[in-house]
Amino acid sequence: MFKKTSTAAAVAAATSLLLITGGCSATNAGKTEAAKPAPAAAAPAAAAAAPKAKSVDYTAMSPKALAEYLIFESGSYELDQPTQEGTTGRARLTQDEIQKACSLMKGEEVSDKAREKVMALAAASIKYPEGGIKLGDWKKGRELAWSGFGYRTAHNPDDHSSREAGGNCYNCHQLATDRTGGDIGPSLTGYGKNRGSSPDMLKYTYEVIYNPHVYFACTNMPRMGATGVLNQQQIADIMAYLFDPASPVNK
Amino acid sequence: MFKKALRALPIALAVAATAGPSMAEAPEDVLDALIKKTNNSPYLTQSPQNIMMMPDNPAWLVAEAGEILFKTPRGPKNASLEKCDFGKGPGVLEGAHAELPRYFADTGKVMDLDTRLVHCMKTLQGFTNDDPAIKKKHGSDSDIMKLQTYIGSKSSGVPWNPPMNHPLEKAMRDAGEVMFYRRSGTMDFSCATCHTQDGKRIRASVLPNVYVPEEWTKAISWPAHRTSHEHVRSSQHRVLECLWQMRYPNIKNGSDASIALISFWTDAARGQPAVVPDLKR
Ligand code: HEC
Ligand code: HEC
Repeated sequence: MFKKTSTAAAVAAATSLLLITGGCSATNAGKTEAAKPAPAAAAPAAAAAAPKAKSVDYTAMSPKALAEYLIFESGSYELDQPTQEGTTGRARLTQDEIQKACSLMKGEEVSDKAREKVMALAAASIKYPEGGIKLGDWKKGRELAWSGFGYRTAHNPDDHSSREAGGNCYNCHQLATDRTGGDIGPSLTGYGKNRGSSPDMLKYTYEVIYNPHVYFACTNMPRMGATGVLNQQQIADIMAYLFDPASPVNK
Repeated sequence: MFKKALRALPIALAVAATAGPSMAEAPEDVLDALIKKTNNSPYLTQSPQNIMMMPDNPAWLVAEAGEILFKTPRGPKNASLEKCDFGKGPGVLEGAHAELPRYFADTGKVMDLDTRLVHCMKTLQGFTNDDPAIKKKHGSDSDIMKLQTYIGSKSSGVPWNPPMNHPLEKAMRDAGEVMFYRRSGTMDFSCATCHTQDGKRIRASVLPNVYVPEEWTKAISWPAHRTSHEHVRSSQHRVLECLWQMRYPNIKNGSDASIALISFWTDAARGQPAVVPDLKR
């Protein structure tokens, strides 16, 4: 029902969810900030039918519809907050196809059909370096793998002009043992030493970093290449950190 | 031993007009029982230092300041907050925080501790959004945090029991659940990415699991003094911090989306005792 944009949510809200409740106290939550009509969203008819006294009945919405309403229409988020990539908070909150397919509730599993779709979308997203996959500078890769800086906004936006965004790898992985990593993902200690650095292995690793859904549909690992957080040089540096025999990961 | 001082205070002031005998249990005792019950959950036991410091939690000083603020006539209307209804009747604080968020007929909204407190400061005391008393939402030196810490401490040891009788309470909780599992942002994170497995870590921080209520109760036990911030923090502040890590935009304090998330997370700890004020990393 809710497609790409919040506009769709707004239309849905404006057409089917706005009720005139006549001041019934049980259903007037959100009355003050209700349906600031986004220009594109407010169909003239709906606007005319529900002028001042309109009020949104949260209890008449499905949990999913209400969640979308709260995110995009209730004035809860700073949707116009600028992002480092030049978009706004609204874009950050808007789901793409993979995010939608992978928002699984408790006990829910990704269907075979959805899995195939996610994997195909992931495969289509991957761009390879022109001269083939190469390893960069492991020392730079070490810092990139460690850094969790970048793209944070909310109350304390990261200033990318002061520092480049990092890869966050240590948030979820143990890599070299001289620093403490998390364990949302598997340990990558000894990665190159254990797996070798065949072209297939390099390609696999590049693809996992670029868009891990190509192998692990609906994984918790972010799509560092596909989202543009890491460029190809940075991926090459991080891969050197994983594969270079001189890297602490392989000591 | 600020805690002892705090407990002596009501007697000293002789103002126990509305509150009955305190049913609040010392947070360190509540935590101790949870640790035993979970067989030493790695999340609950991750900081032995914090556990040791609990009886001398700096938050008690903040609560003490909050009690004085609560009982002192203030604002344009020169009224105290002693008539504020946190859901269990005017002036009843014992166990009130453990039953928030809840629906309030006088506003037609589901409100959490933060928003209800602000509501009373406006209606009873006459403060406006521009008054520093209301405007400053964060930090141990803010009125809001002093008051929340005092009020919250009256629910220590009380099982979380946010009411679900009103359809709006249920609607907000259910929407909060959807939001908890909804992925978006630069890193594709949802709350579930980090909070649905046992004993997992982000770097060195052990993550609480929403499916283990005995763990989750400590996770949602705010106000808590955060040693890394040297400030007492609120539920609203924790929402903000996780959203920041998730690369989401700013969320407004007390907004409906924040309350939906808090409604869901409180429901997930239902039946387990609150640990307030807590001490966190
Ligand atoms: C939010 C957590 C998270 C972050 C951040 C993260 N990963 Fe992962 N990673 C995972 C998870 C989870 C898996 C396991 C895949 C699965 O089964 O879903 C994984 C798998 C991998 C694998 C495949 C492991 C194997 O055994 O084949 C590699 C390689 C990898 N990650 C590298 C990285 C690198 C390099 C970074 C930083 C650029 C990174 N990851 C950042 C969570 C993360
Ligand atoms: C990328 C991982 C990540 C995501 C996503 C995330 N959190 Fe957290 N969360 C953390 C970390 C790390 C902590 C601090 C835990 C600690 O210090 O032990 C934390 C702490 C918390 C706490 C308090 C527990 C404590 O001890 O401080 C709550 C409650 C919480 N998160 C709720 C949420 C909610 C709700 C969302 C979604 C809006 C969310 N988190 C998303 C990583 C995450």
